Amino acid sequence: MSYEFLTPAPTALARSPMERQALAAGARLEQRDGWNVAVAYDGEPPERGRCAATAGFADRSHLGKVELQGSHGLPLGQATRRDDAWWCPFTPEKALVLCEPADTATLLERLEGTFPTVVDLTSALAALTISGPLAREVFARFTAIDLRDSATPVEGFRPGSVGRTPGAILREAGESWLMLFGAALGSYMWTVVADAAESLGGGPVGVDALAVANA
Amino acid sequence: MTRLPPQDGERVDREREVTFTFDGREVTGLEGDTIGSALFASGRRTFSRSFKYHRRRGLMCCAGQCPNCLVQVDGAPGVRACTEPVQEGMEVEHMNARPSLEFDAMRATDLFGGPFTPPGFYYKTFIRPRRLWPLYEKILRHAAGLGKVPKEQAEREWRTEYRRRHADILVVGGGAAGLSAAIAAAELGADVVLADEGPEPGGRLLAEGNHARARELTARARDLGVELLTSAPALGAFDGLVPVWERDTLHQVRAQRIVYATGAIEQPLLFPGNDLPGVMLSGGAVRLATLYGISPGSRAVVATVDDRGLEAAVALLARGVEVATVADLREHGNSDAMKQLMRQGVHVLRGATVLQAEGRSSLQRVTLGPPGAGEGGAGEHELTCDLLAVSGGSAPATSLLAQSGARTRYDERLGHFVLSEMPEGAHAAGEVAGSGSLFEAERSGAVAGAGAAHELGFGDDESRARVETERKTVLNSRDGMPEVAVPPAVTSSRRGKCFACLCEDVTAKDIHLSVEEGYDSIELSKRYTTTTMGPCQGRMCQLPAVRLMAEETGTSLADVGTTTARPPWHAVPMGALAGRPFEPAKRSSMHARHRELGANVLWAGDWRRAYDYGDPRAEALAVHETAGLIDVSTLGKLIVRGPDAGELLDRLYPNRFSNLAPGRIRYGVMASDAGRIMDDGTICRLDDDSFYVTTTSSGAGAVYQWFSWWLADWRLNVHLTDVTQGLSAVNLAGPRAREILASLTDLDCSAEGFAYLDGKRADVAGVPCLLLRIGFVGEVGYELHFPSAHGEHLWDALMEAGGPLGLRPFGLEPQRLLRLQKMHILVGQDTDSESTPFGAAMPWIVKLDKEQPFIGKWALEKAASGELETTLVGFRLADGHVPTEGAVVLPDGDGPVGQVTSARFSPQLGGVIGMAWVPVSLAKDGASVTISDEGRRLQAEVVTKPFYDPDGEVLRS
Repeated sequence: MSYEFLTPAPTALARSPMERQALAAGARLEQRDGWNVAVAYDGEPPERGRCAATAGFADRSHLGKVELQGSHGLPLGQATRRDDAWWCPFTPEKALVLCEPADTATLLERLEGTFPTVVDLTSALAALTISGPLAREVFARFTAIDLRDSATPVEGFRPGSVGRTPGAILREAGESWLMLFGAALGSYMWTVVADAAESLGGGPVGVDALAVANA
Repeated sequence: MTRLPPQDGERVDREREVTFTFDGREVTGLEGDTIGSALFASGRRTFSRSFKYHRRRGLMCCAGQCPNCLVQVDGAPGVRACTEPVQEGMEVEHMNARPSLEFDAMRATDLFGGPFTPPGFYYKTFIRPRRLWPLYEKILRHAAGLGKVPKEQAEREWRTEYRRRHADILVVGGGAAGLSAAIAAAELGADVVLADEGPEPGGRLLAEGNHARARELTARARDLGVELLTSAPALGAFDGLVPVWERDTLHQVRAQRIVYATGAIEQPLLFPGNDLPGVMLSGGAVRLATLYGISPGSRAVVATVDDRGLEAAVALLARGVEVATVADLREHGNSDAMKQLMRQGVHVLRGATVLQAEGRSSLQRVTLGPPGAGEGGAGEHELTCDLLAVSGGSAPATSLLAQSGARTRYDERLGHFVLSEMPEGAHAAGEVAGSGSLFEAERSGAVAGAGAAHELGFGDDESRARVETERKTVLNSRDGMPEVAVPPAVTSSRRGKCFACLCEDVTAKDIHLSVEEGYDSIELSKRYTTTTMGPCQGRMCQLPAVRLMAEETGTSLADVGTTTARPPWHAVPMGALAGRPFEPAKRSSMHARHRELGANVLWAGDWRRAYDYGDPRAEALAVHETAGLIDVSTLGKLIVRGPDAGELLDRLYPNRFSNLAPGRIRYGVMASDAGRIMDDGTICRLDDDSFYVTTTSSGAGAVYQWFSWWLADWRLNVHLTDVTQGLSAVNLAGPRAREILASLTDLDCSAEGFAYLDGKRADVAGVPCLLLRIGFVGEVGYELHFPSAHGEHLWDALMEAGGPLGLRPFGLEPQRLLRLQKMHILVGQDTDSESTPFGAAMPWIVKLDKEQPFIGKWALEKAASGELETTLVGFRLADGHVPTEGAVVLPDGDGPVGQVTSARFSPQLGGVIGMAWVPVSLAKDGASVTISDEGRRLQAEVVTKPFYDPDGEVLRS
């Protein structure tokens, strides 16, 4: 019996666990690669402005997330960008590979023959990117993970507690961090992040504005 | 006029007025004023009433150290007026006085209640007659405490934050030493945070008129990227974490090195009347004049034991305050300050101190003379004055250092406790480390800051060599500390209350009494008298209390020692400590749908679950009559994969799984080493090397850890993946469940094609699913496990397909009833920490003949060979009363022998059913047991087979 029941199928609409919160915040949703994705809120200029001046956060739960178990040889504490995917090691024997949703099936297929256990955790983990000069301050409101340059340089990967739940943070770019956490906690984490960001003048941004801001 | 002419470096802006109210009356201050300075400038001398005796208290330290100026600001009690900046429209009220601050009825406690209010008086005076204690308690509780918390919840709430901040170096204290430390460390490249109690860094530099230097150092630190936290006291030291409270934010600073530049605290002297408004610490008087341009008095007397008081007298003179006399306890000495005072013709009494202060509502006269003198002794001088500036020496502020592991020793020459041992990772600089002058403090700060940075690998050999040289200079300079006269515990034997602890109104006599009553160590006395336990946290009273204890017990101050330093070092609102509430709640991917359907949502472990949709009985009946759909996404779900997966499960469970055929399901009960039931669930074999394990909702985390623990120990070739949150699950059950399912999938759903306890992979409504044919609720049922991202899609598809056939959602409560009808246990409800599978009527699940040793085998073998006392059975009740879960089982109407674990009214069966632990002798169909429930006695009939479909024919159909 295959593990297909773990992987979202293109034949049915996939939703982020934060979709309701995003809609309530004014998100415009678009179907992309089988997912309802919050692509924009109040327009690209203000959203880009948020990422440039304070902190914007974007729901990226649609990213493919594949857990592999077995010796992977990746350096701990650091994510490796390879084949358009982030390779994020948790332990010497366990890592998570993050990719664009359209690439998940191919990635799974490729990894299956290489590692003893490969499991699609796309639905198990929600993801938020927090981006902007105050992003670190937003994180400081709910996690004790050290995100200073000296501790978490660009491409640094830090598993730890976020908002009192297990999670992990990947520094994708200079002021842009991708946070992973349990999907069932999506609604909760949205409120935590939104509360912290809004108190600092930040707010939600769509993935389109985020892509432009981080380009 | 209280305001002096503009002072160089003063903090107030004389062009900008600020208006606020005090007890409803308008007060005008200046921008930059504190509440205390503005009120003082307006003529107010009484700021508060003392805790027990309700004596008048006025400004004393003007640095947030003492409890004398606590007020209520905009509803928040316990605010220090002397450090809280005034703001336009602020509403300030006094605390602890009724009906008014000027006339406080409770002052009678001071005038007449002395004999009745010794330490611990509430346990002594108010114990007889015993029946009146509730009344006494009410009165005492009403009288105790400071301030009033607003009654309305909304008025008590305000936004508070935690902010986690990592740093290379944290500097606590922003005086000359702290600023220099921060600068030195930052210059070497370290990431530095500096936390200072004051509204702007500078400490003594500002208070003593060196504002230009203070601001220069502050600007330099800021330019170097030092994060400056002001009005931000450090609250404690917790193994590398220092909480720093800054208004609405609690910074949790985790620094690799900490430089403590916490300074020293000027100490009061103990003499009758030492708490009168007008008696101030010399530093407080100077701060009022220097920072706020306020004359602390029109005619001052200064009493000191060291140069600090002399320097204060010089400063006051320079600002136009008349200094009538200076009493210096030292017989000798010719410091620069003394020379200046002599030059200006100030009358100086050597070897003298203050013996008494008197006045009605504030200070009017003082008596100076040789220490220890009684009434009318030789050499006494009585002087009229409205300011007595006292300097009883200083005590290094070592509390935070002590909390981080530093040790102190008593220094006879200096008359206070000094640091003797430093913990790893901590540095001390400035006055707390014994560097007294501002110049020395700066230098010691630079050495400490650079030293801390060097320890972290910053700097180079040259900087290390330079700092090492400087360090030696700093240490040498500490040997030349100016002479101090150690004051006696109490300066005179005159009548009148001498307050050792201003916070708790503890007098020297109270300490005497506590020793007489056997509380003869400083720690015991502290607990008995509450000295050092008030808002000042020992700043003002630790050293005086130690001196009194030494005198009373005839031991040395070194032997008396100090009390244990504990956080918080600074008073802090509970709301700031609490921070923002985090309540991680897990929600299934279909949660919003449940809400839309009107579900009552409750907590179930760490999940939010649909308890019912308004009519649990109808929901249960629907499962029997048509079909029901329940969200069971909360089940724990594990993928166990690897060549040894079967062996792992055989070792973890009492029954076998290695012989389970792929595509088949088996129920499992997990036992502890002691053979007790830990958890249960179903296990489906996916293929030769893979199993899909479900657990109870609340046990998911513990089971994953249990698996991981043993897997690490046994080193089997198995990988575990927790997919609990990745897979949603629903249970579609009921006579029409098959029909509904078949309409959405190509899978053969016939009884033959998809038999009971089969597990299959198929798409349902386009969603890839793992389908488990199991029957927790007793009807034909299918558990569908699928990617949680498709939760709403699949729920909608099932409801749409099933709606015309009578499908309705059901919640947790109807599920509990349905499973009870089948006598399926709920672990933790029908079992407890002592329940074994044998007791729970599941002996068939324990395979003692299994070739594989398994967890709990030895204990279960013992249990199998022994006699059970009680066992789990079902029962029916005839009279319709549903007993409380936990109700007692009485076999013969005498003595409890068991308890009810579950009970419900079953509309399907038309009666009350339940499960209970009963003696084994009664575990037979038709036996009668008595259930005692809230005073009622109920006769129940024992049932040993499931109430509904006892032979499982429906389930397998």
